[in-house]
Amino acid sequence: MFASILDIIIDGLFMGGIYALLAMGLSLQYGVARVLNVSHGEFIMVGAFLTLALHTGLGMNPILTLVIIGPIIFIVGYLLHRTLFSALLKSSPSTEVFEGKSLLATFGLLFIIQNVAVLIWGSATRSYSYLASPVEIAGAITSLNRMVTLGITIAIGLAFYIFLARSRMGKAIRAAAQDPATAGIMGVNINNVLALCFGFGLLMAGIAGVLYSMCFGFYTTMGLGFTIIAIIVVVLGGLGSIPGSFIGGFILGIVGQITNTFEAELTLAAYYFIFIVLLLVRPKGIMGK
Amino acid sequence: MLKVNKVDTFYGKSQALWDVSLDIKEAEIVALIGANGAGKTTLLNTISGVLVPTSGTVEFIGQKIDGMAPHRIVGMGLSHIPEGRRLFVEMSVRENLEMGAYSSRAWKHRAETFEQVYKIFPILKERAGQLARTLSGGEQQMLAMGRGLMSRPKLCMFDEPSYGLAPRLLREVFEAIKSLREQGITILLIEQNVRNTLDISDRAYVLENGRIALEGKSQDLLKKELIKKSYLGL
Ligand SMILES: Nc1ncnc2c1ncn2[C@@H]1O[C@H](COP(=O)(O)OP(=O)(O)OP(=O)(O)O)[C@@H](O)[C@H]1O
Ligand SMILES: [Mg+2]
Repeated sequence: MFASILDIIIDGLFMGGIYALLAMGLSLQYGVARVLNVSHGEFIMVGAFLTLALHTGLGMNPILTLVIIGPIIFIVGYLLHRTLFSALLKSSPSTEVFEGKSLLATFGLLFIIQNVAVLIWGSATRSYSYLASPVEIAGAITSLNRMVTLGITIAIGLAFYIFLARSRMGKAIRAAAQDPATAGIMGVNINNVLALCFGFGLLMAGIAGVLYSMCFGFYTTMGLGFTIIAIIVVVLGGLGSIPGSFIGGFILGIVGQITNTFEAELTLAAYYFIFIVLLLVRPKGIMGK
Repeated sequence: MLKVNKVDTFYGKSQALWDVSLDIKEAEIVALIGANGAGKTTLLNTISGVLVPTSGTVEFIGQKIDGMAPHRIVGMGLSHIPEGRRLFVEMSVRENLEMGAYSSRAWKHRAETFEQVYKIFPILKERAGQLARTLSGGEQQMLAMGRGLMSRPKLCMFDEPSYGLAPRLLREVFEAIKSLREQGITILLIEQNVRNTLDISDRAYVLENGRIALEGKSQDLLKKELIKKSYLGL
């Protein structure tokens, strides 16, 4: 039995919102800070489990946990860059060398985070129920938590876009993405801006994790799959383009939902298919220059 | 105002500057000339904090600045207009100028500075909303200079501002630099165009293979055999 087109679109947009957040986060880390962070997906997992702990342990509202989990993950990201990655940057003679070293470092992070998570939370799939009541939109059935998630991801995407376009710090981030050395001689504290970008990047994965946990089951080894999706979306959207990552996330979400309706086993294959077709047709990605 | 004292600078293991010293007084125009690869850009990068010298010191308005981060050095009033313009090409002309005023002291007065820069380069006002990428070569150079002035500098270092410009624009660039000095801005100028540069500068340093080979009053240097043969083609 096939779901209606509207069902597919609504659920595709909802998954797309999660992918968009994840990819914007990776885009900040890779496009600005030049760290291809393969441990990115671990932070969606950490966000999900922290939400579970605060919700079932302390009875907190899962959406409100954002106020606690967000700052924690942001600070972790900021400090990781100020210590580990800025040290690697200092010791690297070129951007290429830095990219290689930092990629290896994030593999290390991936294993550390995953192993510690398995120790603490085990490897079973966990879930809780929140705002799970069905919602009907023009005949299509979805759930309230998915609609809330979609709303929050779109709001964060737009807010971040306006922040980049308008604010002083946002402009510094864009300048640093294009030419960090020149941004430095203009007066931008480069180490600080790169660390902020890394922190914002992890923050977005963490928020995605909080939202994901409201709608799906989650387990401690799910991170890498999300990292791969984020990498696909970032390339799809155009390396370094935040709006591209945002739009690319929604495209991938809908493609995934369509495939899922017909043959769930083929979802990942469909992602790669779209990815390769787009690379052939438009090698620079949707918004690439 | 700026004192570079016996500086050595390396790229990894290869040395680019040997024992370089240079001294600039307030309201001077000082030229730095030398062949391709002599180390001129390296010296500017060493002064503006992009590179850190392995030995020697750099002092600006009485304060040691070697080892200081670039954003703090520009905050003190030392502006570096880099080689090859290095504009933020995906940002608008106005945003590029705003980036020039990023230091907190300059940021506060940016409305006023915008007016001053637009007065020197009126074309930038016309093009304010355009992406820097879409400007002509000459306009891009004006933008690079305007952006460097947005930090309200006491001292400006220009790295080949006339590179790739038509002769008419070249004259405009030199006029703009002279007018800056009249406003009390001290200038360190790198140029390939040795004749014009020696004409507008008070003093000059000649860099050869990473070492200072010659220094003196620009008018005197114009008469020196070495300069005539190697740089003026006489
Ligand atoms: N990033 C770098 N890594 C390694 N060596 C470098 C680097 N930049 C410059 N060099 C070397 O340092 C020396 C001085 O270069 P620099 O760019 O300072 O010369 P320049 O006088 O500015 O030349 P030009 O007139 O061509 O701009 C050259 O031998 C150059 O090859
Ligand atoms: Mg040079």
